[in-house]
Amino acid sequence: MPKFTIDGKEIVVEPGTTILQAAKAHGIRIPYFCWHPKLSIDGSCRMCQVEVEKMPKLQIACNTPVLEGMVVNTQTPKVEDARRAVMELLLINHPLDCPICDQAGECKLQNYCFDYGMRHSRYVEPKRLLSKRVDIGPRVLLDEERCILCRRCVRFCREVSKTGELTVHNRGDHSVIATFPGQKLDNRYSICTCDICPVGALTGKDFRFKVRVWFLKETPSVCTGCANGCNINVAVYKDRIYRYLPRRNDAVNDTWMCDDGRLSYGHVQAEDRIRAARMIEAPGQPAAEVPLDMAVDATAAALRQARDNDGASALAAVASARATNEDLFVFTKFVRGVLGVERSAMVVPAWEPDGFLIQAEKAPNAAGARAMGVGGEDEARAILDRCERGEVNALIVLGADLLLAGEREKVLTALRKVPTIVCLDTHESELSRIAHFVLPACTFAEKDGTMTNVKGRVQRIRPAIRALGDALPEWEILGRLAARMGQPLPSGEPREILKELAGEVPAFARVTPESVGTQGVTLTVVA
Amino acid sequence: MSEAYLTTHFGEKDSAKLDFYLSHRGYESARRAIGSMTPSEVVQLVKDSGLRGRGGAGFSTGLKWSFMPKPGQDDRPRYIACNADESEPGTFKDRAIMERDPHQLIEGLIIAGWAMQAKAAYIYIRGEYVHPARVLEAALREAYDGGYLGPRVMGTDFAFDVYLHRGAGAYICGEETGLMESLEGKKGQPRKKPPFPANYGLWGMPTTVNNVETFCHVVHVVDRGIDWFRGIGTEKSTGTTLFGVSGHVVRPGYFELPLGTTAREIIFEHAGGIANGRQLKGFIPGGSSTKPLPASAVDVRMDHDSLAAAGSALGTAGLIVMDDTTCMVRASKVIAHFYRDESCGQCTQCREGTAWLDKLIGRIEAGAGRMEDLDLLLDVANSIEGVTICALSDAAAWPVQGVLKHWRDEFARHVKEGKCPFPESFEV
Ligand SMILES: Cc1cc2nc3c(=O)[nH]c(=O)nc-3n(C[C@H](O)[C@H](O)[C@H](O)COP(=O)(O)O)c2cc1C
Ligand code: SF4
Ligand code: SF4
Ligand code: SF4
Ligand code: FES
Repeated sequence: MPKFTIDGKEIVVEPGTTILQAAKAHGIRIPYFCWHPKLSIDGSCRMCQVEVEKMPKLQIACNTPVLEGMVVNTQTPKVEDARRAVMELLLINHPLDCPICDQAGECKLQNYCFDYGMRHSRYVEPKRLLSKRVDIGPRVLLDEERCILCRRCVRFCREVSKTGELTVHNRGDHSVIATFPGQKLDNRYSICTCDICPVGALTGKDFRFKVRVWFLKETPSVCTGCANGCNINVAVYKDRIYRYLPRRNDAVNDTWMCDDGRLSYGHVQAEDRIRAARMIEAPGQPAAEVPLDMAVDATAAALRQARDNDGASALAAVASARATNEDLFVFTKFVRGVLGVERSAMVVPAWEPDGFLIQAEKAPNAAGARAMGVGGEDEARAILDRCERGEVNALIVLGADLLLAGEREKVLTALRKVPTIVCLDTHESELSRIAHFVLPACTFAEKDGTMTNVKGRVQRIRPAIRALGDALPEWEILGRLAARMGQPLPSGEPREILKELAGEVPAFARVTPESVGTQGVTLTVVA
Repeated sequence: MSEAYLTTHFGEKDSAKLDFYLSHRGYESARRAIGSMTPSEVVQLVKDSGLRGRGGAGFSTGLKWSFMPKPGQDDRPRYIACNADESEPGTFKDRAIMERDPHQLIEGLIIAGWAMQAKAAYIYIRGEYVHPARVLEAALREAYDGGYLGPRVMGTDFAFDVYLHRGAGAYICGEETGLMESLEGKKGQPRKKPPFPANYGLWGMPTTVNNVETFCHVVHVVDRGIDWFRGIGTEKSTGTTLFGVSGHVVRPGYFELPLGTTAREIIFEHAGGIANGRQLKGFIPGGSSTKPLPASAVDVRMDHDSLAAAGSALGTAGLIVMDDTTCMVRASKVIAHFYRDESCGQCTQCREGTAWLDKLIGRIEAGAGRMEDLDLLLDVANSIEGVTICALSDAAAWPVQGVLKHWRDEFARHVKEGKCPFPESFEV
């Protein structure tokens, strides 16, 4: 393991480590544009130059492996001059339209300008005039004038999305980023190019001009778009979500996320959210909005009556792969302990996986549900069959994915035969519209808890916005129902629930709020 | 030209034909190398000869060959690339060799192939060189038909192929790693180093790149030995080279002379002196990327060390001669424009800096310069030198530095008079 000296500090690194990596790991700041931890080394921006003793020329830190005994200096006058020169050269043709640029506030060029830029430009020649609004793809726009040609976007399309739409056209100072003829920047991860673009050259059409980034408050969370559970930050301004940004987790999503997941934020605060509880007060009447407590009381009464009159065999429970581990743990306890129903089932929505991040299961927590003994689609269909035969007198359902269990009309026909449907959900659906009791639930962005991704990694979500209307997390609604039914469940905050879960379900044995941390922890494999 | 050996048969009838070549000791050196020398003996011989690359940088050829991994320690196929891109303004020597004595090059490649145990050589020839490419192609066919190339080179177990690849008109494809990218069918852009070509070259395999002329010298080193070779030229610049002379001389052309011949002898004896009875103003010693020197430096010896001491470089030995009607600002503008145009655009300093230099010099030449532009010009040139992936950026900086060192007052005159004081000697 080579030992070397950088700015007077002696550091030991793994063989093959570059100067830049070593510096980063030890808090020594070397500026860079083209290097990115998850892309191949380009070595073209030349911003990361440092002085290496015994080497006559400056070396680029991003592409220079540390060797035993090397002495590196990152702060010499020669280095400072070289950085200033790169900055000056990058700026001579830059439009400097920061006041109207979405990147302002998170722009490397702008940031380094304060560190290395010069106060006034020595450049008096005409600036390069290029196109400021190239419609490069359905979700991304290109401003050629702002581009500093770091080629991160090009490498991303070659190496990560593996679609290769982008290239540099022409050469020298005529170089511009462009797609190959007849192509668009249109892959399932295209907006990641906007994340990695160090300047405001690539911007997402969705986010453009919506809000200044320095107003946004970020909450670490997890995308719920599919079973991958990409780590994200939820960016909020005035209690409104403006975007998701990928958050680095090398075991899950590196620094990426898919466009569908990213754009799913709009769903959280959509018009069709269920904001208040609803119940059908008399048969044949339309459901009416009622205070939540009243709905909880009425629901508890209806469930108790069905259980006491018809026995547990006339009850059924359907879980959801979108609920948190904590929700599901309380749900299974409620179903078993209060309703007396041995097993619940769920339907997991599916979409086209891509062998990279996008997983076939289009819900965040199917693995967690399975680990807690929730049955799959076959069992859900069996429940529907029982409904169809009139054997179910009361059904409690989390979410609306049960609608996907078969042909829509058949599913609805079966469900219409159930005298009492209790639905806990976030959004309106055909199920919520026929349910007798509708209890408003929080989305993942409004509550605390954990999700288990496809690889069994338990990861934390956190509230990023206030709960909409009367919505509560499912665990809390269920707790209140249980209490009203005279069988209080051990309750508490998600942290407490998680502790209990870990104590009871062996797969979760080592899962604690601490072990989950910011990067998650995997389930124990139980034989 | 008594010591000439590369060009001995240039101009003779059928000099490009195999029969002619064979009747003048053709392929004897290759036969000797393969038949009686081990690969490492050849490498050592070339190293000891002091031969330095003729492509511009003057790196020791034998040393470069010794960087190639040996069979046994690394079983990947090894390749040779012959740099025939010859795009440096003022340089036209490789063309002469390929047109007039293509078998000499092929023989050099075979020896190099044996020395480095390479599977094949790729000749990357400048796209505009249509005629030289045809001549080479015919020579390659003859060499294959005669058994000098192919699975059994001259009846031995040594298998070696030579392929000819025509470029598509970019100067940057002459830079050795830009050349490899281009050969692989990609955009010609130099690669960052590390990795170095001897480890990661063509298609990721160990590769050595040399200039056309470099390979030809090897034929004679093997034929006549290192003492003979070291007896020509200077101590650290051995052998002859083909000095290409262009510009305001009576007899432009190439002249094979020992390294270390003075610029005066080349310009005034071999090239016939300055044309039209004018005076020598300055000269660019080794292709457009080397720093121009004033007439007062004409006694400099044209070898690596002497030219370095004089503040320039031997480069490609393409000597560009300028008489007293030449506007040095306009000459600089032509050169600056060339490098701006040919920059591949990867590196910040080269992409932006070459364009800035071009615009600055253009403005001064047009009479709109400011006095402070002179310092700015030098500053920009200094800031793009030695800091990029390849040496194109340096090549753009050096002539500016050189011309400002010797002709700063001429730039100042443009500024003061608000116009170019010279007649339209040539178009920009
Ligand atoms: C921009 C640029 C252009 C070059 N063009 C050529 C060329 O046309 N021919 C050539 O032989 N070498 C050229 N070189 C030098 C090559 O990179 C390389 O050093 C040379 O081919 C090695 O051969 P040698 O060791 O025999 O000199 C160029 C270098 C640079 C930086
Ligand atoms: S568009 Fe952005 S990421 Fe792409 S090369 Fe330009 S600056 Fe870099
Ligand atoms: S791959 Fe799945 S988890 Fe990741 S961003 Fe897309 S939808 Fe969300
Ligand atoms: S120095 Fe210029 S030509 Fe060479 S790689 Fe960099 S940008 Fe390209
Ligand atoms: S970060 Fe090292 S060259 Fe760009």
